[in-house]
Amino acid sequence: MPEVAVIFGGPSPEHDVSVLTGLQAARALAGRSDRPPPSVRSLFWSKTGEWYEVDPGLEADSFLEGVPRGAVGLQFTAAPDGGFAEQGRRGRGKPLAFDAALVCCHGGPGEDGTLQAALDLAAVPYAGPTVAGAAIGMDKLGSGALVATAGLPALPRVLLRPVGDPPDFPGPYIVKPRFGGSSIGIEVVEDFATARARLAVNRHLRSGAVLEPYRPELTDLQVAVRTWPQLELSAIERPIRADTSSDILDYRDKYVPGEGMAGAPRELPADIPSELEKEIRQASERIADVTGMRGVARIDFLSDGREALVNEINTIPGSLARYLWVNPPLPFTTLLDDLLAEARARPTHAYSAEGADGTVLRAAGSIAGKLG
Amino acid sequence: MIGEAAHLLLALVGPARLHDGVAWITVACGLAACGPAGLRWLRVAQREHYLAGSVSRFAGRWWVSSPGNKGLAVLAVVAAMVSVGWPPVGVVTAGVVAFGPLGLTVRGRTAPLVWTRRLRTLAAVSAALVILVMVAGLVSGLASPAAVVAALIVPALVDLACAVTAPIEHRLSEPFVEAAAARLQRVDPCVVAVTGSYGKTSTKSHIAHLLRPGRTVVATPASFNNRVGLARAVNEHLAEGTEVFVAEMGTYGAGEIADLCRWCPPDIAVITAIGPVHLERFGTEERIVEAKSEIIDRAATVVLQVDDKRLAVLADRAAADGKRVLRCSAVDPAADVCVERSPDGTRLSVHTVGRRLADGVRVPSGLQPTNLACAIAVALALGVERGELVARLGHLPAVEHRLEAVRAPTGVTILDDTYNANPAGAAEALAMLDRAPADRAPDGSPERPAGRRRVVVTPGMVELGRRQAEENRRLAAACAGVATDLLVVGRTNRRALMTGAASVPGSPLRVRRVGRRDQAVAWVRQSLGSGDAVLYENDLPDHYP
Repeated sequence: MPEVAVIFGGPSPEHDVSVLTGLQAARALAGRSDRPPPSVRSLFWSKTGEWYEVDPGLEADSFLEGVPRGAVGLQFTAAPDGGFAEQGRRGRGKPLAFDAALVCCHGGPGEDGTLQAALDLAAVPYAGPTVAGAAIGMDKLGSGALVATAGLPALPRVLLRPVGDPPDFPGPYIVKPRFGGSSIGIEVVEDFATARARLAVNRHLRSGAVLEPYRPELTDLQVAVRTWPQLELSAIERPIRADTSSDILDYRDKYVPGEGMAGAPRELPADIPSELEKEIRQASERIADVTGMRGVARIDFLSDGREALVNEINTIPGSLARYLWVNPPLPFTTLLDDLLAEARARPTHAYSAEGADGTVLRAAGSIAGKLG
Repeated sequence: MIGEAAHLLLALVGPARLHDGVAWITVACGLAACGPAGLRWLRVAQREHYLAGSVSRFAGRWWVSSPGNKGLAVLAVVAAMVSVGWPPVGVVTAGVVAFGPLGLTVRGRTAPLVWTRRLRTLAAVSAALVILVMVAGLVSGLASPAAVVAALIVPALVDLACAVTAPIEHRLSEPFVEAAAARLQRVDPCVVAVTGSYGKTSTKSHIAHLLRPGRTVVATPASFNNRVGLARAVNEHLAEGTEVFVAEMGTYGAGEIADLCRWCPPDIAVITAIGPVHLERFGTEERIVEAKSEIIDRAATVVLQVDDKRLAVLADRAAADGKRVLRCSAVDPAADVCVERSPDGTRLSVHTVGRRLADGVRVPSGLQPTNLACAIAVALALGVERGELVARLGHLPAVEHRLEAVRAPTGVTILDDTYNANPAGAAEALAMLDRAPADRAPDGSPERPAGRRRVVVTPGMVELGRRQAEENRRLAAACAGVATDLLVVGRTNRRALMTGAASVPGSPLRVRRVGRRDQAVAWVRQSLGSGDAVLYENDLPDHYP
């Protein structure tokens, strides 16, 4: 049986949720009834960016204080023949052998393409989004523009800058960090001047912010998409806000109850007209195409009950959106097996040096000559 | 070679009457008793942060905690003395040491023994000390008394092992501290160091809340406040890009905070309060003030709670040294930051240098105004805009286990103050129990209907040195003015609490004694109904009697 690795944690505000997703995946992979079950390596990425191998059977509270007891320090090298290796007494120790990695990181460098790029350079096969797919999913302005280009309905979304004219839609507005997962840093404001003022005080908006009209009457609808063995959509759910007075579905609603997203209150499948469901399904397939989706993603829509507006794409959703596959039921282990199968079958990178055959170098002459 | 050693051994044990087989059995029993006793006292050492001396202190506490344990202790000592002349009696001592004191388990209920590297080292050194005592016995020809004495003084041997290993542990932690210092320099956050006898954790979480979302803040996790803990917090939590690092600094003795500040120098230093906590380690409150004030030496900005006169003096001294000083108060509106509570206790008003910042701020119950004042001062020192500050004040989260009030489905109001361990906090908690909502009377008045119960469940407060008995007597006497029932948990402060409760003449307070907190909880579940209220004041881990 092959060895597989589950990667979770990372220097991200969603570190803790990622630990939950990773522990669920590791437990499911290690604990199933295959004879013998695959051996699972749990790779924990600390808040400060260090790597450790931990026991896949750990509970969430082992991570409360940081790196769990018994964790073994690892070195990661982003180079051919690199990847993960135990920290030897003298430099690099024994390399960790596994044939595919399941990335369970949410937010930050684990979901924005940084980790994916590093794994590509180390030639480690992994499940989930590619560098480009992850980067697009994390960029609300970029993914919004792709959605608009594909002709799909969405709320207007513009870049919020410290200078320039107000947008051509009226307030109230919702201000979101341009980059970042979950709903951390999102604020609802009455007018444009307030929105602009938030740029200076909300650090989540520092690397960019987008502005949309705030439409409290719209509700969330979410659907998961997976790309292996073929493109497939889950049931559609309507998450239920824990606190009805809260302006938007916030981070606490999503993640605070128990086991992460899988424990949040919801209506599943959502009771919606078949026309609307069809619209959501067609839009989701189109999004999978234009964003180069890979692995399992969750697409969030906003709806007034008739129309579905594309809101955002989560390329590595909480609990890997396992709870959405109810009709027909898809066991979590099957979902994980398929993700890992895709990791092995669809490589994420193929570098080529074709054409760099020395012609340019031979014709170049001296560098000083080029500068002169 | 082996023959020579055997010969030597025989020469050593020769005079020890070891041809008498019974003496050997005594030796075996004495050494065997060191096993369970060692585990038991190692667990206490672990709970008490491996501070040399603490194990013997706890052993003393346990052996006098109940008539049964007192009797066993006397029996063990007498049997040990008799065994010098007549070895077989030593077996009695061994038996008592192996199974006593009654109530202190080897495994532990609230906090089991954790076999960390440090504990393994300590166990090995303790075992070596037992062997040393044994060898001394063999050499002096008193093998069986030596084994009995070794069993009897296991707590002292564990203490000695703590003292011996302390410098080694310090050396071993050096690389982690160095890594932390390097990380701090690389990430280069503004360091806010918080200390105080109490209120550190609350103040730390208030600071983090007020600075977000404007700054990237990392606060040390609860109880990561000594050298190793702080280094671990930096190594494992201080991510790149962190702008403010809020570090809790604890101290059990002079020089400890100064040592922390050497490698984690604060930009802003905060002292929340001085109280009699950890008095038994410091001796006097003056020494506590001195130890805590080490935190301001390297800081350019100092935030002090000046309602305490000693800290007011310290503030003047710091100002004279050219530091920027922010004085915080809950009573003086002219202070740099003053947070005052409304008469009904549910709202706060905030003034900065006499200027109104906010009024009628709704805050979670149990919030200490001075802690919030210190946090506001830090936010102001870091340039948080006043308007932003007011907005953040409206959403202060409750501090876990700090006087959180919840209404159980049965209608019983539960006040959780189990993390509190100081007299000032306890007085606050009792005031809140007095205000606890009852079911409204039919005419809508919030009057407390007659017959409603107000219950206090507490093991009393510890680590108050010579003042411990007095403070617990006062606590129980104060309960008599507010509560209808007092449940005394455990034996640690039983006598002081009972005396205090009895000292109020004509008080209707009913006092019950229970062994463990879960028994008190069971009683509360069974006895209380809608409109009643219960205060859980402090909780002690199970290495306390």
